[in-house]
Amino acid sequence: MFIYTREAHPGENVVHHDSFERKLACARLLAGEAGIGRDILVDDLDGTVHRAYGLMPNMTWVIGRGGRVAYKANWTSAANVEAFLGRFLAGRAGHPPGTVPVMYETQQAEFRYTDRKRFMRDLLRNGPRAVAEFEKAQQLWAERAST
Amino acid sequence: MGEADCGSIAAYNYPRFDEYVAAGADMADEDAFRASPWAGQRAPDFTLPRLGDGAQVSLSGLWRSRPLVMEFGSFT
Repeated sequence: MFIYTREAHPGENVVHHDSFERKLACARLLAGEAGIGRDILVDDLDGTVHRAYGLMPNMTWVIGRGGRVAYKANWTSAANVEAFLGRFLAGRAGHPPGTVPVMYETQQAEFRYTDRKRFMRDLLRNGPRAVAEFEKAQQLWAERAST
Repeated sequence: MGEADCGSIAAYNYPRFDEYVAAGADMADEDAFRASPWAGQRAPDFTLPRLGDGAQVSLSGLWRSRPLVMEFGSFT
C-alpha cells in the first residue's frame, strides 16, 4: 500500500500542494505515470499520517498483525523489504524443534541502489525548477559535510 | 485528525526544496523519523481516503489479518 505525502521536489509541472484537490490531482498523476498498481491512500493536506510516521520522503514500514511495528526504514529498498518479510513471515513458523520463537529488535545500516539518471529525469518531469533546486541542495549538503 | 492551521500546512508543503534544506528541515525530518514509533511499539492508526473510489480505509483494518507494508512517497 502506498501513502501519498507532500511533493518532495515541487516544480513547474508538479507544484506544492495548496489544497486537497490539488493533492488529489497530483496523486492521480502518480498512479497514472508512475504506474503504481497498489492501493494509494492520500494523506491530508497537513501530512498528519506522514508526521506520525516520521516525515522522511520515501519510508517503508511493515506493521505486523495486531498493529505493532515490525520494520521501519527511512528509505525504501524493495529487495531489503522482501528479504525482511521472508524472515519475518517464516520466523514464527520456522523454528527448530525444541525451540520457541522470541522476538527481538535490531537497528542496522542498509544499502539501497539509486539510479541517479532516472532520479534526475523524474525531477525534470516535475519541472526545471525541481532540478535547479536539487542542485542547490547538493551544494548545501556538501557545505554541511565540510563543516 | 485535528484541525491544522494555515502556517502548519504551508510549512509542511514547502514550495522550494533548496530553501527547505537551507532551513535545516531535512535534518529535522531525520530526527522525526528516529523519534517515530520503533519496532515492537503500536503503530499509529489512521483512516485515509483511497485514490480511485474515495473509500475511507483504516490502517488497522489492513493490518488486522496480515502484515501491512506501507510505502510513503510522492512523484519523485
